[in-house]
Amino acid sequence: MTKPLSKRILGYVVLIAFLIAILLPFYWMFVSSFEPNTDISSYPPAYFPKHWTFQHYAEAFGQFHFGRYILNSVIVAVISTFIVLAFSSMAGFAIARLPVKGKRPMLIFLLIISVFPPLVVITPLYMLLRDVGWLDSYQALIIPYTAFNLPFAIWILRNYFLQVPGALFEAAKIDGSSVFTAFWRIFLPLTTPGLFTAAVFTFVACWTEFFMALVFNPSNTMRTIPVGIALFSGQYTVPYGTIFAGSVVSIVPIVLLVIIFRKWIVSGLTQGAVKG
Amino acid sequence: MAMEAASTGKKERRSGILQRTDVRAGWGLLTPAGIVILAVTIFPIIYSLFMSFNNIQLTTNGFQFTFTGLQNYKDVYSAPLFWHSVGFTIYYSVITVAVELFFGLLIALAIQNVERLKSISIIVMLIPWALITVISAQMWGYIYNGVYGVLNAILQGLHIIHTQVNWLGQPFTAVVSLMIADIWKTTPFVVIILLSGLQMIPKDYYEAALIDGANAWQSFWNVTFPQLRGSIALAGLFRILQAFGIFDLPFVLTQGGPGTTTTSLAMLGEETLFTNLHFGLGAAVAISTVILILGACLIFLSAFRGMVGEEAQ
Repeated sequence: MTKPLSKRILGYVVLIAFLIAILLPFYWMFVSSFEPNTDISSYPPAYFPKHWTFQHYAEAFGQFHFGRYILNSVIVAVISTFIVLAFSSMAGFAIARLPVKGKRPMLIFLLIISVFPPLVVITPLYMLLRDVGWLDSYQALIIPYTAFNLPFAIWILRNYFLQVPGALFEAAKIDGSSVFTAFWRIFLPLTTPGLFTAAVFTFVACWTEFFMALVFNPSNTMRTIPVGIALFSGQYTVPYGTIFAGSVVSIVPIVLLVIIFRKWIVSGLTQGAVKG
Repeated sequence: MAMEAASTGKKERRSGILQRTDVRAGWGLLTPAGIVILAVTIFPIIYSLFMSFNNIQLTTNGFQFTFTGLQNYKDVYSAPLFWHSVGFTIYYSVITVAVELFFGLLIALAIQNVERLKSISIIVMLIPWALITVISAQMWGYIYNGVYGVLNAILQGLHIIHTQVNWLGQPFTAVVSLMIADIWKTTPFVVIILLSGLQMIPKDYYEAALIDGANAWQSFWNVTFPQLRGSIALAGLFRILQAFGIFDLPFVLTQGGPGTTTTSLAMLGEETLFTNLHFGLGAAVAISTVILILGACLIFLSAFRGMVGEEAQ
């Protein structure tokens, strides 16, 4: 059924206006990261840069620590994502396929947990991390990031495990394989799309998290990208060129991730909305 | 029972053992996730509650607790700044989410009506969703800049304003500027949820409406909107929950200012805890925030149930 022409034209007008509105700020940031400081702070600004320079990129990664921020973010996000995948697939499988009691309360409990704001857990965690001397460390972020991303991942993976026919589990047991073998060799390979979805959501959440990273890892060498960018300031003016150079580089992995995994992201958002 | 067990004999016992190993394996598989969640969320929540009834001092020997009962709560609730940030957080969340739902619906309908640009739109929309909020805050800070910001240049070019405006320097424009930056980043999320809701509406509903002679507006109000209410409510709930915790954006863009205009609850909590080191007061702010959020959830869910009715159950 083709849509009437007037509806289609209206659709294109709204959609294109929206896409431009999303992309314009990015264009502005991208262009400014290549402008010399005098052009960045000139008024009225040039809509297309007159002079191009790589000076800010050299500063961000030479003189300042943006390389280190990106490394910190990658380490924290990748390790958290792997731990979340391991723990949530185990828990999701148990809830979906094994005869443990209290599954419903568990699922509702996970939902309630994910509603709580980080503000309520941040002080006790801070005091604990301080007592054991773990402030300004990778584990100070990996452990809370794992905990905060487990509920959604468990929900998603439980839904995927439920889609695998239960008869497969019975068949595996009759063949004499243990619960763990059935989980590892049969169920996990069949739920790869679920694993991708859980992985992308966890990675993005860790990559963008600011509050805990700010409080737990404030020292310059342990900052993640958001903290580095938020606390990066000059003596008299905001050094936008350097900030944007670092920002542009740290957006690249996100753009690649979105292009490669968009199907799983959309299905994750949709599942979260339908079942959550 | 006993007779049944006796008659089926061995087989019954064997499946009983299997059953039991399954239960044990189940708990084993749940343990790692369970421990992490209990240690990092449940224990701290209970501990926060405990902290909120104490005066806590950071000394050279670590943290010293003195039980003070409800004193922290009395202090928090008698502070005008607390009520100011409650008010700001509520009106900020309600307005941004309402605007997002409006634009989100408009854009989802637009995408539904076009044939091209669909997959590129999804990619473009997912980038703000996955963008670090701090980066978007710096980006908007540059756009809003009162001296060399591009927003002033555009508005002056269009003769809408005559002199440069310091957007983040005045209360009203600062709040609106924050809202726009937030709406820019989170509307795409709403669009994707509503789009998937739209795609689940059966095509025959529209054909039936067409046969009944409904125009575009009537088929929207009588088919699309009622069918989409569930998705709208859920997108709204997710976003309200997120918006209540707003911290990153004002932290970078306005530092809660001008004055205390854009001090959200999360910012007030963070400041009390880690700038002023009032751990007991901060805990009382945190617990109050949780109560507010749970209350908002309940109100929203009961409104949602009334709106959607039995069919959503």
